[in-house]
Amino acid sequence: MPRRDTISGLLWSAPWLIGFVAFLLVPLSMSVYYSFTDYPLLKPPVWVGLDNYTGLLSDTRFWLVVRNTAIYSIIAIPVCTLAALAVAAMLATPGLRGRAFWTAAVFLPTLVPMMATAMVWLWLYNARYGLINNLLGVVRITGPNWLEDVAWAIPAIVLTSVWGIGQMIVVYVAAINEVPGQLYEAAMLDGMGPVRRFIHVTLPMISPAILFNVITLTIGSMQVFVMPYVLFRNERGQRAAGDFYNLMLYDNAFVYQKFGVASAMAWMQLLIVLALTGVMLLASKRLVHYRGS
Amino acid sequence: MATTGLGFALFGPRGERDTLASKGRLVLDYWEKWTGHEGAAMQRVVDAFNASQDRLYVRYLVTSAIHQKAMISILGGSPPDIVGLYAFNVPSYAESNAVLPLDELAARAGLRIDQYAMGMRPVMQHGGRWVATINTGGALALYWNRALFREQAEALKARGIDPERAPRTIAELDLASEVLSRTTDGSALGKGPLARAGFLHMEPGWWSWIWGYHFGGTLYDAASDRAGAGGPEVVRAFEWLQSYPQRLGIDHVEKFRSGFGPYGTPQSAFLTGEVAMVVQGPWMANLIQAFKPDLDYGVAPFPVDTPLYDPDNPMTCIDTDVLMIPRGAKNPEASMEFIAFTQRQENVEALATAHCKGSPMVEVSEQFLSKHPNRGVRLHTALASSKRAYVAPATPVWTEYKDIFDTTMQDLWKLAEPAATRLPVVQARAQKLLDDAAELRRRRGEA
Repeated sequence: MPRRDTISGLLWSAPWLIGFVAFLLVPLSMSVYYSFTDYPLLKPPVWVGLDNYTGLLSDTRFWLVVRNTAIYSIIAIPVCTLAALAVAAMLATPGLRGRAFWTAAVFLPTLVPMMATAMVWLWLYNARYGLINNLLGVVRITGPNWLEDVAWAIPAIVLTSVWGIGQMIVVYVAAINEVPGQLYEAAMLDGMGPVRRFIHVTLPMISPAILFNVITLTIGSMQVFVMPYVLFRNERGQRAAGDFYNLMLYDNAFVYQKFGVASAMAWMQLLIVLALTGVMLLASKRLVHYRGS
Repeated sequence: MATTGLGFALFGPRGERDTLASKGRLVLDYWEKWTGHEGAAMQRVVDAFNASQDRLYVRYLVTSAIHQKAMISILGGSPPDIVGLYAFNVPSYAESNAVLPLDELAARAGLRIDQYAMGMRPVMQHGGRWVATINTGGALALYWNRALFREQAEALKARGIDPERAPRTIAELDLASEVLSRTTDGSALGKGPLARAGFLHMEPGWWSWIWGYHFGGTLYDAASDRAGAGGPEVVRAFEWLQSYPQRLGIDHVEKFRSGFGPYGTPQSAFLTGEVAMVVQGPWMANLIQAFKPDLDYGVAPFPVDTPLYDPDNPMTCIDTDVLMIPRGAKNPEASMEFIAFTQRQENVEALATAHCKGSPMVEVSEQFLSKHPNRGVRLHTALASSKRAYVAPATPVWTEYKDIFDTTMQDLWKLAEPAATRLPVVQARAQKLLDDAAELRRRRGEA
């Protein structure tokens, strides 16, 4: 490539390169360094070696938030995926009346700001006056104390996450619509019913979309923040059953001014997410079907 | 990304420092937490300052979650000129150098620490330096519903409780609470849904850490830098706390509590009569005045364990609002001039009257006391000078220590674990925080 073209190319890509270095590479590198320091920002960082990491491993709150986040993710990922697939399958049903309306209806909740949604859930979950318990009362079921009962904290958060599956549904509907019609015809000729067609034709054909959604959902679940912040934190403090990884990370950074500890937590989280993503990508070699591969 | 950043830097929004009202004056930004009625009262003080001279112009800016946002603005090098925070923020802000020491600034502005009530002074200082002034003073007390006491007068008398005065000891509080509590179906307490509770530690539940003090305990010994969360008095206090959900039935209590409206609304439990006694600051009277002016209430020192009862030296937690000058404020002298204006007796008393609070100063005018809308103002003012007034532990790790306590109180309230086993664990965690902080100070050469 002529030198002039190289310079021209670098100049054209310079804005992105500068942005990448200034706003991503340098902050990332600095946060690695800070994770090995005590850094309250208004004082210079002081090297503490692995203390931030070992301190976290011996911190009971750290293990509590890891446990809560893991349980939430283990429940939320399959629940949201199955719910999104089920709704997408219904929306993709040939001849469905009002398809555009229903698609818009399931997508709409994702457009509402998370904080506003959380405030609505706060009232929906109210044990005495909340809509959910009142509806349960109609069928003579005594609803739980969603936000105070330790056993119901994570199910309550999982339920709110189902509220936001609209984006996944849109991706699944698009993927289902791309499945060649002749595959369904062949399956029907082989005597498959709708359920078996969905399992043996639709799911393999949309498996790349499922992989994409599961990976993004995993990352999102590991970083859950707004809902537990609104539902489980008030003037009385943080309820342990609703304490999550990113809440502790936020507290360390912006409440306790322990930026070193917060950086260590961020890097540990990144490594966990990378490991999980790696496992999923490895598994996808056997489970995900790419058309033409 | 870089282009966007550059464009934002060059053409992005700018702070409006020079308005018509402030023309030619130095503009000072004052961040405060108060909105509504309380905010309007502070705005009047600000307006009075702006009208009193023609060199400075203070802008009152309401900021939510102020203790976090103020710190972020200080860390980012763009702080306000004056910030109004909570008393419990003082140690952590002072320890992290986030605020300026006021010793010399205050002296030049004519302020002296001995002008403030005895109980207020520990809040204002950290590490031997003056770092905060008191914006409005708050001493916690027991707010009790006189009407409900009268309604149950015979039953209270039968248990040896005088219905015309508030409980003085924990034992009296327990008896009164039991008499005043009711179930919706008339069944025995703990057997049915609650319709009314005499007293609940979790309403409002803002001070998870105070109970041990009323049994003679302490959470922190500054001299030895030791945590005291597992001390026998604190354990006994939390066993007492646990006796309430045990007696009333934790499921019934939690369902009952979930229906309380938030503080600041007419549906809050004390105003609706769902809870007959609450531990609260003087601001409670503001709420009563706004939403239930006909409520017949009384204000008394929060009870103590029987052997600790001393009518001359009531026990109270001092929980105040403070004014501080953030590090990086561009004109500290000007900021101090405004603060000094707010600390003049007439301004302190005007603001305290509007907030229904007591005065944080030693000198209090009779007019302030006699025309005050809070019927407990004399008590609140006296509490501020009590020898047994206590403040949040003055350690930089208090925020984290308190967070541990908040979570602990909720768990203990739900009877997740006995206090005797949980609190020693809390003590160990708190001590580790203190030891780690001490070690870091040593490494920084600050010890």
